[in-house]
Amino acid sequence: MFRFFSKIWNEFKEYIILVLLLILSLVTLSLNEKPGIKKVHSLAFGAFASVTSVISNVINTAKVESENERLRRVNAELMLQVNKLREYAVVNQQLKKLLEIKDSLSYPLIPAKVVSKSLTKSQSTITINIGSKNGVKPGMPVINDLGLVGIINSTSDDYSIARTLKNIDLKITVKDERSRVDGIMKWNGEDLVIINVPKTYDIEPGDRIISSELSSIVPVPIQVGVVLGLTKVGEGIFNEVKIKSYVDFVSVENIFVIGIVESKEKKNLELNFYKREEK
Amino acid sequence: MNNRYILPVIIFIPLLLLQITVIPLFAFYNATPDLILILLVYYSINYGQTYGTVLGFVFGFLFDLITGSLLGSAMLSKTIAGFIAGYFSNENKRDIYAASYVFSFIVLLCAVVDSIVYSFFSATELQRNFLLLFFEQGFLPGLYTAIVSIMVVVFIPGRRLY
Repeated sequence: MFRFFSKIWNEFKEYIILVLLLILSLVTLSLNEKPGIKKVHSLAFGAFASVTSVISNVINTAKVESENERLRRVNAELMLQVNKLREYAVVNQQLKKLLEIKDSLSYPLIPAKVVSKSLTKSQSTITINIGSKNGVKPGMPVINDLGLVGIINSTSDDYSIARTLKNIDLKITVKDERSRVDGIMKWNGEDLVIINVPKTYDIEPGDRIISSELSSIVPVPIQVGVVLGLTKVGEGIFNEVKIKSYVDFVSVENIFVIGIVESKEKKNLELNFYKREEK
Repeated sequence: MNNRYILPVIIFIPLLLLQITVIPLFAFYNATPDLILILLVYYSINYGQTYGTVLGFVFGFLFDLITGSLLGSAMLSKTIAGFIAGYFSNENKRDIYAASYVFSFIVLLCAVVDSIVYSFFSATELQRNFLLLFFEQGFLPGLYTAIVSIMVVVFIPGRRLY
């Protein structure tokens, strides 16, 4: 018996090892959402991120000059916009006082730098140099001067990993700024798309897309991208809306984390409501 | 003797640093060369199929763990890539493969398979054109990796990394 197994092992050693390792990989794939695995994951990337941050700093220093030039131009443009917005703010405050609406426009911004990027076709993530010690929590939105970059996925003490918009696991409720229609935006591995948009919805190429207040993840209006066009026009009852993100994920370096997380109170209220409906 | 087990892991660390910090700056149509794969192919050719398969598994595990990608996806793709590269570990032709331009063709083959398996297990959208998927997610990054691997042949002709 032993000789038989020994013979099998000697003849098919490579294949046996391959199959065992493939099974182990598949089992690991299925365990990704386990809290223990997530913890080990965040500890490992946290430890390595401290090293990658040193290299990123060197690269960033070399690019600072061109970045400064671009920021100066953005600054000038923003200055023009600020003057306009100041006027709007005055009017807005007066109207709010009249309507007694709570002020919900001030959110804490936590500045951070990207220390490494994993830009794969479907699972793009960035690692940033702030973590739970700085108040970062999973679910917080990540932005830069151009718009929404992604959402924090996991944190260690000093570092965090954020899923960028180009990650198939990230779905966000967005809306057309002009026509105010809402939809679910996701990355399909090729393009950013708003899925299942009824053909009757008024969405046109060139419309600006912003995050929707209906979103439980990003409940503040942050610009996301611009509509490139509609697809699946000839089939079914839904269109798919192709979007071009404002953010260039390859060159993103300096970002801000918005210190808001999904409201548990709101979520519980909605869950209880749906449970009652089911009864 | 121990070098064959320790050295690849030691080389892996700085290569991974380059891969996630510097290499994204040279992205071409979202495709980046995979330096880890070049190292894996080199060692697999030199030390055999079993060694290549296990090394691919270890590299994939460390890659997934450190970069925050889906744990298991790179493990799977690199294990298969190491297994394929190990096919070319023939005692008589080993030096020819590892130190000539054939090396780049082996890298191309392994990189294409690696990229396709990796994107297959980390993406769920399979409704698009398969040929386009093969080209964009398999062939393009594979070709880029193969071109970069020519540097290994040029700069380390006839030498081993140990």
